[in-house]
Amino acid sequence: MPNIIVTTRDGAEREIAAETGLSLMEAIRDAGIDEMLALCGGCCSCATCHVKVDPAFAALLPTVSEDESDLLDSSEHRDAYSRLSCQIPLTAELDGLRIAIAPED
Amino acid sequence: METAVRIQEYDDPSYDPFGADDLNFGDMLDPYPEIAKWRAQAPVLEGDYRPKMGLQSATYPDRKMFTVVGSDEILTVLTDTDRFSNHGYKFNIGETFGQGSISVMDNPEHGRWRKIFQKIFLPQYVKLWGETIVDPVVHKLMDKFVGTGRADLIEQFTLLYPFEVIYQQLDLPESDVNTFQRLAIGQTDYMHIDKAQEASRKLGEYFTALVDERRRNPGDDLVSLLANTEVDGDYLPPLVLISFLRQLMNAAGDTTYRGTSVLLTALLENPDQLDAIRADRKLIPVAIEEALRWDGPVAVQLRMAKQDVVLGGLEIPAGSLLDVVAGAANRDPAIFPDPDRFDIFRERKAHFSFSRGPHICVGQHLARVEMTRALHAVLDNLPNLRFDPDRPRPEIRGTMMRVPKHLHVRFGD
Repeated sequence: MPNIIVTTRDGAEREIAAETGLSLMEAIRDAGIDEMLALCGGCCSCATCHVKVDPAFAALLPTVSEDESDLLDSSEHRDAYSRLSCQIPLTAELDGLRIAIAPED
Repeated sequence: METAVRIQEYDDPSYDPFGADDLNFGDMLDPYPEIAKWRAQAPVLEGDYRPKMGLQSATYPDRKMFTVVGSDEILTVLTDTDRFSNHGYKFNIGETFGQGSISVMDNPEHGRWRKIFQKIFLPQYVKLWGETIVDPVVHKLMDKFVGTGRADLIEQFTLLYPFEVIYQQLDLPESDVNTFQRLAIGQTDYMHIDKAQEASRKLGEYFTALVDERRRNPGDDLVSLLANTEVDGDYLPPLVLISFLRQLMNAAGDTTYRGTSVLLTALLENPDQLDAIRADRKLIPVAIEEALRWDGPVAVQLRMAKQDVVLGGLEIPAGSLLDVVAGAANRDPAIFPDPDRFDIFRERKAHFSFSRGPHICVGQHLARVEMTRALHAVLDNLPNLRFDPDRPRPEIRGTMMRVPKHLHVRFGD
C-alpha cells in the first residue's frame, strides 16, 4: 500500500494510502478528492486528471505515450512535470510519491 | 472531378425528414418534474424512458428495459465498462450510421479508433477552426439579418451554422448540400425506419465515392484527412470511416444547434445574466457550461448490461437495455442546489451533457468553440437584444432531445 502525498488546488497537503493495481487517478478519486474531474473514467480520453509529479519520482513512471502527450498539450498548464494520473499504475516503489493536482483549464 | 460523386435524393422526394422530430424525440415542454418524481421513488426504474414519457417505445429486440435516474447509478453505468456496454446502440444508431460507429463499440476496439478521431478534435486544433471556419460561417449568416432589427435566431441562425461548419469541414460541393442535409437528418427517423435505412445507404454510397475522390485528389478538408489517415500501414477500415462520416451531422450538427439555441434562450430569459456577460465576456465559458447542464441537448443515453447486475436495488439481467437519463443527474438537487434555476454564477460542478466514461463526447471541444463564437457574434452584432414583444416567447421542447423551434428577437433601437 504505497502512500501518496497529494497537494490540492488550495495548496493543502493530504496523505492517502493507495492500493497497488489502481491507477493514480483512481487512488486520488477513491480518497474523496473530488476537484479532479477525471471525466472519461481513466481511458486517456480527456485531460481532466492532469497532475504535476515531483521530479524525484520521474524515473519510476512509465513514459508518456503519444496519446497522453497530445491530450496534455490541450492544457494551458502543461509543464515538464505534467502527467495524466490515469496513465500511472501504482506500484509499491511509488511509496511516498508527491503530486499536485494541476489547475483547472 | 467531383462529377464522379453523385448524391441521391430519397426515392420519394416529398418525404420530409425534418417533420419527424416530434415523433422521434417527443415535444414535451418540461420533462424535469416527472424525472424528479421518479428520482424521489428510486434511482432505477423498470421499463424504458420513452413510454413513461408518452412516446412510442423504440423497436428493440425483446429484452428487459430500465430507466436510470439516480446520479450515482448514472455515473456507474457510464463508467463501469466491465459491467455495462455500448452494444445497445447496435439496434438503432448502428443500423443507420453503421456498425463501425465508435458509439456502438466497447473498449479495446472502441479506443483503437476513437484515439484517431479524438486527436483531430483536441482543443488545440479545434481552436484554429474557430477562426478559419466558424467565424466566417457565423458572420455570413448574421449579415443577412443584422440590418433588419428582428430575427428568428433559430431558423436564421442556430439551425444553420453548425451544419454550415460541417459542410466547410468536409468541403462539400454547394449543389450537394441540400440533399446531404435531408439524408443526414433522415438517418435518425427511427419511426420511419425504411427512410432511415434508405438515407443511410445513400449517404454511405456518397461518402464512399467522396473518400475515393479525396484519396485521388486530397485537399485540406476533414474527409481528405480521414481518407488518408493510416493505422499500422492501412487506411481506416471502410466501415469505421463511413460510419463516422455518417454520424458527424448528427453528432456535431444537431447537438450544437440544440445547445446554442438553449443557451441563447436561457440568456434572454435571464437578462441580468446576459448583461453580466456583456460586461465581462470572460463569463462566456461558465454560461455555456450552465446552459449545457440546465437543459442539455441529449437527455438520454443508452447502455446494455453485460452481465446480471444489481443496480439501485434492482436485479438487472444480462442483455437488458438501460436508458441513462443524463438530464436527471444534471438536475439532481444533491449536486446542483435549486437545480431548475439557470444560474451562470452557481458553483461549478461537472455536468453530464457530454456523457462520462470512455464515450465522453469526442466533439465537446468543438461544440464549445462553436457556441463561444456564436455568442460573441450575438453580443458584437445584436445590441439591445430582447424578445420580440409581438411574437410568442420561445418554448424549449423535447422528450429525448431538447430545443426551442423559434426564438423571435428584436435588437438595435
